[in-house]
Amino acid sequence: MHNGQTSIELIFPSILGYEVVARRVVATFADFVGFDQARIDDLKTAVGEACINAIEHGNQLQPDLPVYITSSYDGHRFAVDVSDTGTNPLAIIKEPKTIEEKLAGAASLRGMGMMLMAALADEFIVEPSAAPGNTVRLIWYQREVAHT
Amino acid sequence: MSDDTKRSKPSEKMIELRLPSKLGYERVAMDAAASLASRMGFETDRVSALKTAVSEAVTNAIEHGNQHDEAMKVVVLLTVRGDELIVSVTDQGHKTIDEAYVSRVPQISEAMKRDDKGGWGIWLIQELMDEVEFTTAPSGGNQVRMVIHLER
Repeated sequence: MHNGQTSIELIFPSILGYEVVARRVVATFADFVGFDQARIDDLKTAVGEACINAIEHGNQLQPDLPVYITSSYDGHRFAVDVSDTGTNPLAIIKEPKTIEEKLAGAASLRGMGMMLMAALADEFIVEPSAAPGNTVRLIWYQREVAHT
Repeated sequence: MSDDTKRSKPSEKMIELRLPSKLGYERVAMDAAASLASRMGFETDRVSALKTAVSEAVTNAIEHGNQHDEAMKVVVLLTVRGDELIVSVTDQGHKTIDEAYVSRVPQISEAMKRDDKGGWGIWLIQELMDEVEFTTAPSGGNQVRMVIHLER
């Protein structure tokens, strides 16, 4: 039984590869509060994408710029905020190319992260941080298990 | 971000993790440390030793230092410095570690006579890690600094 809101925070340098630690931290937290493995797999993929975006785009691969993660759970809603400290805004692609179009050379093979995060999370929000930088907010809701 | 994180040297890479003082959350710290150690190239048995030591240090911070007060944080700093991983666990509590616990070697025969079979954590940390130091953090809480060396 989970009572009240609990949160954890993680700060790590903008070095590719460190997103693996962030994925593991958030996955262990989600497992601890009772999410099933399938949703944890979604969560790990989405958090990994958000971290790579923060490292590569927001913080421009500058190791001394930190990536901040705050993850919270209130018994129903599991939220993960991934914030960079850079000044390069994350581009929102309103009409993304399909995989077929990308493979045909109509667009870069990269740039699927935003689509992926939107597809994997129950809610996905990108907003400028209060401080310089961007915040990606990923939200999952605990689903009721159907008893038959 | 803690003062320690701000003070990290260019050759160091530092990860900071802040956890609520609730039993079970030590797993988050264990997995963060294991993930980083695996990335650095530590062997599986050394990663297991590290996980056990981190678990004991964070559990001590939750139970003793922060007295299970969930509003109080346990701060875990993971610093990669060359071929060593430094793990620092700090609580916000004011109950200091008894010096006697730091230096004593627990005896199984004595422990078996007690209802409480605990009290092995500090000894275990010292056995498993290459360097261990118990200090008071600038913030006033207890701090355990553990170092594990990568042997190539």
